[in-house]
Amino acid sequence: MPAVQDTIDRVRKIDVDQYKYGFQTEIAMDKAPKGLSEDIIRFISAKKDEPSWMLEWRLEAYRRWLTLDEPTWARVHYPKIDFQDIYFYAAPKSTPGPTSLSDVDPELLKVYEKLGIPLREQEILAGVQKTDASELEEVSDNVYKSGRVAVDAVFDSVSVVTTFKKELAQAGVIFCSISEAIREHPELVKKYLGSVVPTSDNYYATLNSAVFTDGSFVFVPKGVRCPMELSTYFRMNERNTGQFERTLIIAEEGAYVSYLEGCTAPQRDENQLHAAVVELVALDDAEIKYSTVQNWYPGDAEGKGGIYNFVTKRGDCRGDRSKISWTQVETGSAITWKYPSCILRGDDSSGEFYSIAVSNGYQQVDSGTKMIHLGKNTSSRIISKGIAAGFSQNTYRGQVSAHRKATNARNFTNCDSLLIGDQCGAHTVPYMEAKNSTAQFEHEATTSKISEDQKFYVMQRGIPEEEAIALIVNGFVKDVIQQLPMEFAVEAQKLIGISLEGSVG
Amino acid sequence: MLEIRNLHARIVDDGTEIIRGLNLTVKAGEVAAIMGPNGSGKSTLSYILAGREDYEVTEGDILYNGQSILEMDPAERATSGIFLAFQYPMEIPGVATMEFLKVAMNEQRKARGEEPLKIPEFLKRVKEAATSLSMDMAMLKRPLNVGFSGGEKKRAEILQMKLLEPKLCVLDETDSGLDIDALKIVSDGVNALRSPDRAFLVITHYQRLLEHIVPDSVHVLYRGQVIKSGDKSLALDLEANGYAGVIGEAA
Amino acid sequence: MNMHTQPQRTPAETALIDAFGDRLSLLPGDGAVMLKRDDAIEAIKHGLPTRRVESWHYTDLRRLLNAVPDFDPAANAKAIAPIVDGSTVVSILNGKSDAKVPVIEGVTFQPLSEKLIDGSIAPGLDPYGSDDAIGALNTAFVADGYFVDIADGTELEKPIELQNLQAGGQTHVRLPVRVGTGAKAVIVERQTGDGAVLGSSVSQLVLGEGAEVTWLIVQEQPETATHLAQFKAHLGKNSKLTVFFMNAGGKLVRQEIVVRTTGEGADFKLRGINLLAGDTHTDVTMVLDHAVPHTTSTEVIRNVVTGKARGAFQGRINVHQYAQKTNAKMACNTLLLSDDGEFSTKPELEIFADDVVCGHGATVTEIDHDHLFYLMARGVDEKTARGLLVKAFVAEVIEELDDEAIVEALEARLDGWFVTHG
Repeated sequence: MPAVQDTIDRVRKIDVDQYKYGFQTEIAMDKAPKGLSEDIIRFISAKKDEPSWMLEWRLEAYRRWLTLDEPTWARVHYPKIDFQDIYFYAAPKSTPGPTSLSDVDPELLKVYEKLGIPLREQEILAGVQKTDASELEEVSDNVYKSGRVAVDAVFDSVSVVTTFKKELAQAGVIFCSISEAIREHPELVKKYLGSVVPTSDNYYATLNSAVFTDGSFVFVPKGVRCPMELSTYFRMNERNTGQFERTLIIAEEGAYVSYLEGCTAPQRDENQLHAAVVELVALDDAEIKYSTVQNWYPGDAEGKGGIYNFVTKRGDCRGDRSKISWTQVETGSAITWKYPSCILRGDDSSGEFYSIAVSNGYQQVDSGTKMIHLGKNTSSRIISKGIAAGFSQNTYRGQVSAHRKATNARNFTNCDSLLIGDQCGAHTVPYMEAKNSTAQFEHEATTSKISEDQKFYVMQRGIPEEEAIALIVNGFVKDVIQQLPMEFAVEAQKLIGISLEGSVG
Repeated sequence: MLEIRNLHARIVDDGTEIIRGLNLTVKAGEVAAIMGPNGSGKSTLSYILAGREDYEVTEGDILYNGQSILEMDPAERATSGIFLAFQYPMEIPGVATMEFLKVAMNEQRKARGEEPLKIPEFLKRVKEAATSLSMDMAMLKRPLNVGFSGGEKKRAEILQMKLLEPKLCVLDETDSGLDIDALKIVSDGVNALRSPDRAFLVITHYQRLLEHIVPDSVHVLYRGQVIKSGDKSLALDLEANGYAGVIGEAA
Repeated sequence: MNMHTQPQRTPAETALIDAFGDRLSLLPGDGAVMLKRDDAIEAIKHGLPTRRVESWHYTDLRRLLNAVPDFDPAANAKAIAPIVDGSTVVSILNGKSDAKVPVIEGVTFQPLSEKLIDGSIAPGLDPYGSDDAIGALNTAFVADGYFVDIADGTELEKPIELQNLQAGGQTHVRLPVRVGTGAKAVIVERQTGDGAVLGSSVSQLVLGEGAEVTWLIVQEQPETATHLAQFKAHLGKNSKLTVFFMNAGGKLVRQEIVVRTTGEGADFKLRGINLLAGDTHTDVTMVLDHAVPHTTSTEVIRNVVTGKARGAFQGRINVHQYAQKTNAKMACNTLLLSDDGEFSTKPELEIFADDVVCGHGATVTEIDHDHLFYLMARGVDEKTARGLLVKAFVAEVIEELDDEAIVEALEARLDGWFVTHG
């Protein structure tokens, strides 16, 4: 992650078009035949050398999925997905499961280098020159501080490498691909997989349960503060593949972990499907911080191509005083359907959701959160900033509910939308449901455009129009950016600027 | 340095003509005061010079160093050296003042083909300028103009003016909302910037500011025209006798 | 209506469909009206809306409507005193327009049955969308009501009170009101009665250029009644509409408010209070379309929930692409006074124009403990203090109405409710 600072600048030189990660890589691939059937699921399970209980789990999900209808309530429109026209499994051929970096296809390493994600541990250890960092701090909070980050890189269907495993293991932290976890730590997987997002949860989550191919697994034992940031980079490369990753993070009593997720994909005319499931479990006094910078290919200027991003993310504050915090910066994908949620089960537990969703071109975003208050004295906080430009549609959809026994539930929600241009739409759909007289919910929302006065003022100081807008927008989203780990904050700010390019007519 | 020739301009939205045949010349090194009653077009003139899109020039021209600036957007005018100190500086939430200064200074440098400032050099310049205006560095970490008092906003405008080193400074009612101490600080700031290659257009309703920033010329604006020009004694005359006399003469 | 393939019909659905067959020969209307009725019952045959239908998310009508009474021709209702003294009273008695129609200058009252028979009302009978179950139910069964026309330039000194009084069985009434250019009026829509009635009521208001109307909906049904009501309005150029509603009764209540600004400069205000008690279900759903530029709206809703009452407010503001310079603000505040009660809020913004200022706020709270403590410190006992604070919370909305006679009349209704439920 160090050097991510320059990620955008470096990568944008690679590509002439808007989307800066639009290269594809020629790597020999190992694929299952197109389409979905029990045989394909058996194939995936066999490829991953899974125990039979896992196969059964998948098949059960698949059978249930066959009985479900695609949901239609979100404010997104797309042609019907032909699930028989998708590759559900694609893996780089040379990697039956690399054990060290030297086993990884050098072409693959190059991909991650292009993306600014160094997988070589020594590079990370070398860190970044910290000259005048203290002075930088005076300039703004957005300074770049170097830190060490362990990375799990997922290429199409499989995890290609995980760095820093040894050092993490010394601290007792397990950080590996979910496939490896199923083989090496079956007891933990059995105990927690599907315990937050059951296989029956929703159409895409059920599909994911049947066909998930890889993803990350994190286990932080009791009392351990994870010694470094953990990160996964997802890359979709192969044509017509779906990516169905599954991430499971468990923080035992008193544990703490901060996890980052980044996503990119090459430019293609066809739409590609991404249906992930992320489950977080926080036991007593544990804290999980989950940050996402999502930059899947959004489609071209005419709305052709792009990723369908149908994701189920949910955190379970299972223990008392536990805390789960979601932060997301969503700039990519043709369609985003995503509601990272918190189930506040433990007494005094708390949930947070900080979101920036930028849409441009013909992108459609329907995203938000659910805060389900079940325990006593639970609190939640939602800050959502939506920015719509071009012909895009940007919807915040959020639910806050306090159940009968959730005494003293507290929620504060603020969702603001900004419109750039008059061909886009910004929508706010909050659901507030209180079943306890001691609940206190506060919700506020605004929608407006960038003020001409502000823009003129900034331009009068010599800042060109597009940069003036990016500056004002970055001010608008500041509250959320501040929640991101430093390295992501810088990347996210630049990404927002890039996403809005061409929005000024 | 600045030559306004028979300028006519109107509000785009409703077509109201505000500037009706304005002529004005300001030489390098000159401090020109623009005075006039409310509604005479003073603020409009400053906006038109800075390139605000709400106004449309229908006739005449504005020459800056001999070149027409009418086709330039606000940012281009700014990087060419035109600076407007706003009567009501805008609040920009979430954007730290320091961050804004850095971006603006580097854009100006880029336009001049210079390298971006190194952080220590940038900080040094900001600290110097802030000290000279009795401004607290802590204030500059706050979002731009957000929660600033009227006086703080005006000081921040002059701070920007110092740092951006413009050639033509337009001060729009910079004295409004300032108490006497703040007025002194702001005026000293402006006076320190006076130089042979820099011109000032000081727009004000009252003579008060001109006691501190002594002008080389004074122009009375009324109904979108300069109806009388003179030296600093004209301002004293207006202070003593009001605008009525001058307007009557011109009519 | 719900387009999902429906499982078996519920008894209520069956009862409605059967009733339509039985009533057909009694329902007034020319060919055009009867065709609309046929379309409407077809919609009902597709099934009543469930919570899967977004606009019915908090009121699963299919599940909640579990008894449909037969029509009761023998049931009689009597006109009652208006809430504001001196009002012109027009009554609908158990679904039928009263023979006695008042005469006031500039205002025409015509029984709706006449306009059904001559077909002139037919174009207004279409539901406003595929989810409009109340519109469909009403169009299928509507037999009477009043058409009210307020001539251009008429300025009424006294309110007109339209009383919809039920006594038994089913009643389905409609109240189209046209307010001419520059006319001014206060109209009270009174919804009350006795018995386990199933009633639908649709009010349709059209405001001419510069017209100014205050429309008060006072709903005090018994806790045995099912009340499905709709208020629709079109706002012409520079017109002003204030709608106030007070829901203080009913077993199953759905009040829809559907407003569209059709002329520039129009201004809409919605002020409402829901006083919820007992084992009841009340849903207020507003859909506001800003369809033209330069229009403004504000909405303030206050809810008090006691007992096992369940309440919901859905408010959707749509700002169309050409509706630049729209200014819209919405607030919904709830006092939840009982652990068995619940209230859900869904304030939606759907915005397709960029040069707008729109916002909403919503809160759910308890009584402010500092306020309570302050009053108690001044010697007021806790029960009285609570009562004062709760009343003040809703009375604020009434006081905004700015007309002394109306404010007094509504506060009297409020007091009445607190005496019974406080």
